Amino acid sequence: MATAVIMPKQGQSVETCIVTKWFKKKGESVSVGDILFSYETDKATFDLESPADGILLDVFFGDGAEVPVLVNVAVIGKSGEATDSFNPEQTNLTARKASSVSNPHKVTFTAEIQDLKNVPSSPDSKIRISPRARRLAGDKGLNYNNLQGSGPNGRIITSDIEKILSGAAIITKSVHTTGVEYTEQPLSNVRKLIAKAMHASLQNSAQLTHHMSADVRHLLEVRQKIKSELSSDTTKQDITLNDMVCWCVIRALEKFPEANSHFLDDRIKIFHKVHLGIAVDTPRGLMVPSIKNASDMDLVKLSKELKSVAEACRKGSISPELIQSTAATFTVSNLGSHGVEMFTPVINLPQAGILGVCTIINRPANMGNDIFGFVPYIGLSLTYDHRAIDGGPATMFLKEIKEQIEAFRY
Amino acid sequence: MPKSQNINPKVVRKPKFIEFGKIPVNQYNKTIEEEKKILSSEDFLRIYHDMVVIREFETMLNLIKTTNEYNGISYNHPGPAHLSIGQEAAAVGMAYTLEVDDYIFGSHRSHGEILAKGLSAIHRLDEDTLYSVMKDYFGGSALKVVEKGFQGSIKDLAVNFLLYGALAEIFARENGFNKGLGGSMHAFFTPFGIYPNNAIVGGSGDISVGAALYKKINRKPGIVVCNIGDASMGCGPVWEGICFATMDQYKTLWDGDYKGGLPLIFNFMNNLYGMGGQTMGETMGYDILARIGAGVNPEMMHAERIDGYNPLAVIDAFSRKKQILKEKKGPVLLDTLTYRISGHSPSDASSYRSKEEIEAWQQEDSILSYGKTLILAGIAKQDQLDVLRRDTKELLTQILKLSIDAEISPRINMHQDPDCIGKMMFSNGSVDKMEEGTPEVLLPLEENPRVKSLKNKERFYKDKEGKPVSKAKLYQFRDGIFEAVIDRFYKDPTFAAWGEENRDWGGAFAVYRGLTEALPYHRLFNSPISEGAIVGTAIGYGMCGGRVIAEIMYCDFLGRSGDEVFNQLPKWQAMSGNIIKMPVVIRVSVGSKYGAQHSQDWSSLTAHIPGLKVVFPATPYDAKGLMNTALQGTDPVIFFESQRIYDIGEMFHTGGVPEGYYEIPFGEPDIKRTGDDITILSIGATLYPAIKVADILQEKYGLSAEVIDARSLVPFNYEPVIQSVKKTGRIVLTSDASSRGSFLKEMAQTITELAFDYLDAPPVVVGSRNWIIPAYEMEEYFFPQPDWILDAIHERILPLKCHQNKNDFSTDKSISLNKEGV
Repeated sequence: MATAVIMPKQGQSVETCIVTKWFKKKGESVSVGDILFSYETDKATFDLESPADGILLDVFFGDGAEVPVLVNVAVIGKSGEATDSFNPEQTNLTARKASSVSNPHKVTFTAEIQDLKNVPSSPDSKIRISPRARRLAGDKGLNYNNLQGSGPNGRIITSDIEKILSGAAIITKSVHTTGVEYTEQPLSNVRKLIAKAMHASLQNSAQLTHHMSADVRHLLEVRQKIKSELSSDTTKQDITLNDMVCWCVIRALEKFPEANSHFLDDRIKIFHKVHLGIAVDTPRGLMVPSIKNASDMDLVKLSKELKSVAEACRKGSISPELIQSTAATFTVSNLGSHGVEMFTPVINLPQAGILGVCTIINRPANMGNDIFGFVPYIGLSLTYDHRAIDGGPATMFLKEIKEQIEAFRY
Repeated sequence: MPKSQNINPKVVRKPKFIEFGKIPVNQYNKTIEEEKKILSSEDFLRIYHDMVVIREFETMLNLIKTTNEYNGISYNHPGPAHLSIGQEAAAVGMAYTLEVDDYIFGSHRSHGEILAKGLSAIHRLDEDTLYSVMKDYFGGSALKVVEKGFQGSIKDLAVNFLLYGALAEIFARENGFNKGLGGSMHAFFTPFGIYPNNAIVGGSGDISVGAALYKKINRKPGIVVCNIGDASMGCGPVWEGICFATMDQYKTLWDGDYKGGLPLIFNFMNNLYGMGGQTMGETMGYDILARIGAGVNPEMMHAERIDGYNPLAVIDAFSRKKQILKEKKGPVLLDTLTYRISGHSPSDASSYRSKEEIEAWQQEDSILSYGKTLILAGIAKQDQLDVLRRDTKELLTQILKLSIDAEISPRINMHQDPDCIGKMMFSNGSVDKMEEGTPEVLLPLEENPRVKSLKNKERFYKDKEGKPVSKAKLYQFRDGIFEAVIDRFYKDPTFAAWGEENRDWGGAFAVYRGLTEALPYHRLFNSPISEGAIVGTAIGYGMCGGRVIAEIMYCDFLGRSGDEVFNQLPKWQAMSGNIIKMPVVIRVSVGSKYGAQHSQDWSSLTAHIPGLKVVFPATPYDAKGLMNTALQGTDPVIFFESQRIYDIGEMFHTGGVPEGYYEIPFGEPDIKRTGDDITILSIGATLYPAIKVADILQEKYGLSAEVIDARSLVPFNYEPVIQSVKKTGRIVLTSDASSRGSFLKEMAQTITELAFDYLDAPPVVVGSRNWIIPAYEMEEYFFPQPDWILDAIHERILPLKCHQNKNDFSTDKSISLNKEGV
């Protein structure tokens, strides 16, 4: 019996994946573990390993095809075995016709005509796209119907398609000022997901924010010390201020486990370990990967993990499981490097809180004996879900973070 | 402007009168008895026979055109038939004295002349030569038809061959003299000395002068007769041809045995009408055409009106005039008075002349009156003449049957080979020299002062240290053309050059500086300001077998040579059925700084006309290589040069311009700079603004441009351009031609078709404005500038970051400009 090669479902929200490149051809023999093809979701790219030994009997979707998850992409078996029953077209599953390369002759001429007729004429006919861009989009299975082009008269040009394919956020500001006062841009998939999550968060929780500042003179001194220690060490890890603040947050969460929790309407799930979420800006939009078991890590390990997940997000290779909002128990969002003095971060539900880390500001402070001097303070903005935590404990928790910072030790 | 001839004010300012001598009008007065001393009975009868053959041939055509029937045979001939019924004596008299080596050129009304010259040649050629001519012509295809079942002499067979070849040609059959591609108005047969007739009135007026030059320059035996109509005296090319043919220099400046006039007779077949216009009394003012001769030169062109209704008078005149040509006192002007009984064409209702007039001429009909003369003189009997007429009718009936039989005389098989005419447009030869022989030169090439000076020039625009070479030390664009041209002068003995200021001055733009020292007058000479005849004579020279480079100085003067460039030069290779080669290069210089009538790039006009090869180099390396190719070929080439860049050095071909001979194949565009983001295709001197644009795109916008120099317009290999567009997805095209209808539009359209799926924007053309060209100081508003190209890219192809448009390339602007017609 032949084995179907199925498009895996990579994460809850993934409905379709795009086959980026086949490494094996129809008729080639394959072994378990051979990479058959690479594919991508809206967030990441993956390789698919062969589930069986045998001949790649048929390939139902070629390079660039968009395939619904859990649909047969190919079939592996012994030479001569029937494959028709595996063909998603035969089994009436919805699939993009254009992507079928298994037997292009099957697409009869009348079927093509039919397809053309079925295309809703009004919106499509207004799309201005260059032939080259259309060809590229077609090759990559990209839907350009809602795209705003950056070419003359809003024409979609090749660079627009390339931008999307590279995963960049589409910022197509028209250079042409021909009397139009605004431009409309369609949402990228990542943008849609962020919009949905953020809106849901504000709609479905009772969140509010407390602001506090921590004296970072000690922290900065320790950072210098660590740096000089590490530079003589073999582990060349650059410990950032953010790493140290995260370290403090983890220590504070250990003392206030109710903040290290998921609010699940009828119950609160309090975690024994801290899985720290960290907000990362990527070309495709905001992502919040999680560092599992962050409370078990020493400072150097934590620092390494923070860097590696951020990098994976930017490359698009982060595991989809790690960017689910349920993967983390608490989130840190650092806007301090950009000079933000205070903000109200939005909770990644079902988490119960999120800490916004702000910039360092020199403030006047009593240095003793009513002598005032300027002291560097880091701003801390804690948003918490009042459904899960009351104001008192939240304040204490925030104060704990402040104290951890001011008396930093590791 | 030779320094050897001083013009003395003391002499030319003296008062005097021009005295005109007498021009004979119908002065033939020999008695038949006097003629009998010159001509035998056979001769007299042959003259009669030839006239009858022509009359019957044309009567047949007239009946077919008007009644679709001749002697019981039905046929429909939709094409033209301009008949000369009534003019037979003039045609036969003209051809009677001519040798096979004497060439005739004709008009649209030349069936009679072709047949007369053909019959004359058949009479003169021995049977072996005759047979081999027929056997070798297109593999003997026409001979096979008339030879089948034929019993008689080779000469009679040759008459059948002549009539069949001519009629099959008129009926567009492949067995015709020119594969049916010439037709009634262009039939010719060079082995009998019959050169092209011409459907353009007066078209032969300058081409025949070129043929006479060919005979003179290459010491070929024979004379040239230019048979044109009386009305063509009103045509510019005829007047230009006359001027070209009567230049003083032949008698004053040409050396040795080259000294002396052209072997040429302008034979005006004066039938008194130009279509429906009466030349004597209505549309011209000469009263008697021969009068014109008096105004041309002191010899009055030996002009004479002769009675073209009497074959003996015509023969007498040609015998006398041939003697004048032999003495190198030509050319001669003959006003051969005749009358066309038939209409201009079968649709002519003769609304412009009276019945009485036609009847009066019919009463004097040349065949009737000549027949009477023969009977009266006891040379022939009426029966004899009647039999001759009957036999001729029978012969033509047979010939007609053969000519219209689709099996025997098919047309060229366009169904089997739809491209067969295309294959005949160019001969695509590669020939060092058109004839064996030693080229006549005045000094060894190495001793030429310019050749010597070029030895010390830098052949790349930067020296070894990378510093730009000074203009004085730089090998320039004009040097590239010079090297190719002088090289050919030392290779091909037939090679000649003419145009305005070509000698002494060295051409208006110093391209030919150094040629005067190298070449005798007959190989390099100054022409009158007659651009039509400059090209027309080159055509005649080329079609007879010589190679020539003619120059018309400014592109704007192409209009002056319009008929020659558009109707003659491109057509004759294919219209001859590939019998003729046309190794003619026309140098055309595109001006600048000189305003509206001296700065136009009209390369598109010539590229539009099928049958011309068109090149437009922009670098010294390409100029030399393309000129070598042009001069090695056998096809007509329009060679464009831009005055903007005559002094530019070679900037692209590393290693500079080679000293030796090399060719650059026509049709191959050259990638002058490689790039990935946009292609710029330029024609001519806009290569340099295009390179500037590429620099700006790189520096300001981080875009790498591929710059392609078209080099050729016709032929053109699109593959490298398509290849480039597949890479870049974008293309902008630029040249100095006004953008409306420019060749760039043709290229843009072709690229769109060939690479549609690869285009990220439509190909955009940046040409000159559709205006008059303003003064030099305002040229930047007329010719494409780098910022125009950038603006066009920004607006039509790819918005450039932070680019500020200086010019409006919007679609609205394009619509409104087109609406306004500018």
